[in-house]
Amino acid sequence: MLTAGSAARPVVAAVVARTARLVLLLTAVAVASFVLMVNSPVDPVAAYVGADVASLGPAQRALIAQRWGLDDPAHERFLSWFGNLLGGDFGFSLTFNRPVLEVIGDKFLASLALMALAWLLSGVLGFGLGLVAGVRRGWFADRAITWLSYALASAPTFWVGLLLLYVFAVSLNWAPVCCAVPIGVPADEVGLGDRLAHLALPAITLSVVGIAPVVLHTRQAVVDALASDHVAFARAQGERGVGLVLHRVVRNAAAPALLLQFGSLGELFGGSVLAEQVFSYPGLGAATTTAALGQDVPLLLGIALFTTVLVFAGNLVGDRVHALLDPRSRLVDLRGTR
Amino acid sequence: MPGSAWWRAVAVAAVGVAVASCSGEGRRASAGTPTELRLAIGGESEEGYDPTLGWGRYGSPLFQSTLLTRDADLQVVNDLATRHEVSPDGLVWTVDIRTDAKFTDGEPVTARDVAYTFTAAAKSGGSTDVTVLREAVAVDDDTVELRLTKPQSTFVNRLVSLGIVPEHAHGPDYARKPVGSGPFVFEQWDEGQQLIVRRNDAYYGAKPAFERVVFVFTGEDASLAAARSGQVDVAALPPSLATGELPGLRLTRVESVDNRGIAFPFEPDEGRRTAEGRPIGNDVTSDRAVRRAVNVALDRQALVDGVLNGYGRPATGPVDGLPWNEPAAAITDKDPEGAKRALEAAGWVDADGDGVRERGGTEAEFPLLYPAGDSVRQGLALAVADMLKPIGIAVTPKGESWDVIRTRMHADPVLFGWGSHDATEMFNLYSSAQAGVELWNPALYRNAVVDGELDAAMAAVDPGRAGEHWKAAQRQFGPGADAAWAWLVNLDHVYYADACLDLGRLQVEPHGHGWPITQGIAGWKWTC
Repeated sequence: MLTAGSAARPVVAAVVARTARLVLLLTAVAVASFVLMVNSPVDPVAAYVGADVASLGPAQRALIAQRWGLDDPAHERFLSWFGNLLGGDFGFSLTFNRPVLEVIGDKFLASLALMALAWLLSGVLGFGLGLVAGVRRGWFADRAITWLSYALASAPTFWVGLLLLYVFAVSLNWAPVCCAVPIGVPADEVGLGDRLAHLALPAITLSVVGIAPVVLHTRQAVVDALASDHVAFARAQGERGVGLVLHRVVRNAAAPALLLQFGSLGELFGGSVLAEQVFSYPGLGAATTTAALGQDVPLLLGIALFTTVLVFAGNLVGDRVHALLDPRSRLVDLRGTR
Repeated sequence: MPGSAWWRAVAVAAVGVAVASCSGEGRRASAGTPTELRLAIGGESEEGYDPTLGWGRYGSPLFQSTLLTRDADLQVVNDLATRHEVSPDGLVWTVDIRTDAKFTDGEPVTARDVAYTFTAAAKSGGSTDVTVLREAVAVDDDTVELRLTKPQSTFVNRLVSLGIVPEHAHGPDYARKPVGSGPFVFEQWDEGQQLIVRRNDAYYGAKPAFERVVFVFTGEDASLAAARSGQVDVAALPPSLATGELPGLRLTRVESVDNRGIAFPFEPDEGRRTAEGRPIGNDVTSDRAVRRAVNVALDRQALVDGVLNGYGRPATGPVDGLPWNEPAAAITDKDPEGAKRALEAAGWVDADGDGVRERGGTEAEFPLLYPAGDSVRQGLALAVADMLKPIGIAVTPKGESWDVIRTRMHADPVLFGWGSHDATEMFNLYSSAQAGVELWNPALYRNAVVDGELDAAMAAVDPGRAGEHWKAAQRQFGPGADAAWAWLVNLDHVYYADACLDLGRLQVEPHGHGWPITQGIAGWKWTC
């Protein structure tokens, strides 16, 4: 009983501290995003009406501004939004003409599959390649992999997307050119295969964002681990080849890859904005573009908060998994949050 | 373990790709005339399909029907209406509607639905402007009175563009489950991806030749990709992507009134400012001789060929190709010698030999503003500067944000783009009553004769009379007289369409590429 109690106290303290940090972070993100949106040079009414703004009179403009609440002072708009938020009401998206939570829920489901697949791809592929490069340091495989990583790191996501689109969708006709479902097929006839087929190119495009850092960090970690005393000891005992790498190196080298993967959720989300645009994939990234271009403040704030939570949770999980993998980091963690 | 997960993912994705590539070839491989049409012309309405919020304000509203419509020559003809009449004071529009129209839920379309639609649109704060409506009243089952706050001949455009919604089914979720009396029935909308519609077999008008129509909402690159790989039948593309022939597809160019032109500040620079603090006036462009010389010197066909790659036509005014256009207002351009003579006569001479004329210490030079990032306008501005240099007028093209343009537009010439099927736009661009309102009449042009004609056109009860006044105004503000603007080009809208698809005669399209082509969709058919 005594040991359980003393072990629980730091955990409770850690949870409280993390929660407080999250609340602070969310508030800061909300305020900052709102200030940016309000000061944006884009005229919200013109953005909403689009090409037709020319035929819109001052009277109609006033009606739109009134419906959107643009006439109220900025701080009042923010406070009323914030008040509603505390009551669980995220507001109403004007570009999509439906509640913000519904929009985010819908779009996130589509994005989730895409981001999860891309995340797995980049993590597994990146770790594998990094492992090979590290083990074969200085050899041809290492140079090829390192070169590939630099190339991927400097390739813009949308460009990779367009390239894949032209090669696989247009020239080879292997993959669909757009969307998350086949063109013209009723929703109840869309199968899992269809969905996966439409997921493949966007997911590969998106995974490109994350591969290079994982490869390069893993490579370095492998190199370090191979140079360490315990590997020298194992070698002295006669361990060689794959066995040595699997038993003595992988666990040590996995830490940076894992932390990077969990820490990169923000970049993954940023990349999805571009990948979804190229492939007309209807996820949260595409919705973000629409909301930003349309000056849809409630939706954009909702998405900002949502991604903040996502990234925060990613980092938290990363820390936990890291602690499981490398017990030494747990000591640091406890001391840090005391 | 991670390795096996990865292989599983790859295997699943590979199988998926294979499955899709088989199913993707379905329509074209099958024999006979396809009953489905697939379009990638953009135009998704993210907020849904509610006409009272602005859906269908150009092009076909698909699900709903409108009181009137415009035929291929842009003449107003009846649709849901059987007759419409304007009271002598222009304030009351009486519309009789047909009695055989039904909403797709089986309820008949009545005058009450029409009155409800107009009332809702006037209050909605959406992107259709019905603010001139005072009230809409159903007089009996098939007669509705639309009472206005002031006479407005162009109100007919609201009767043309506003789809009628059912009063009994118009709730908060209407925009996502539209019910109407139009040629198509809503079937499925995968937001951000596609809209699937089905033919309305109970439609009162000519029924479309397709059982289903699918609108795919792809970006420009993906649209081109989809057209190339045969997954869509019609794709709207920017001219820059419309390079060369594609197998099985016909490059279709649609003329438009999507125009580009220069607004010349009309007032001299006397140091005055607007209430917002924007500077007013320009000592060069306030001289009619300069404005006329610019209009005469430009080679508009060269602009079309050089900047638009031939996808356009020279502009003679703001309403080229529309029924109320006045051809007599056009001038002969590409005459730099004539322009020089006119400038000399007005006292603009190059005394100091620097290649730029001057008069009374004022150099014949001005900046030409265009929205930065618009490559077509940038190209036009640069070409215009090149064309005016030989006649001794120095133009400096400058890409700016709309914020800067709004601030400078009363003092510096700006390259604007306009073009609408609604003649109200001409009123807005040239009436002194609209000077400095929104982006209208940015040049602060003011001519009592033009004002009189424009007001008369707006107040006219008879469309023919209105047309005469619109034309008279053009003769006065056009390049041969006041030369208030220099209209340069009208863009062509480019579509790739299946070679077997007959799109019929197409309307001259307004500003905005893509959805307007759907105006005549009910008449399209397969020819092979």
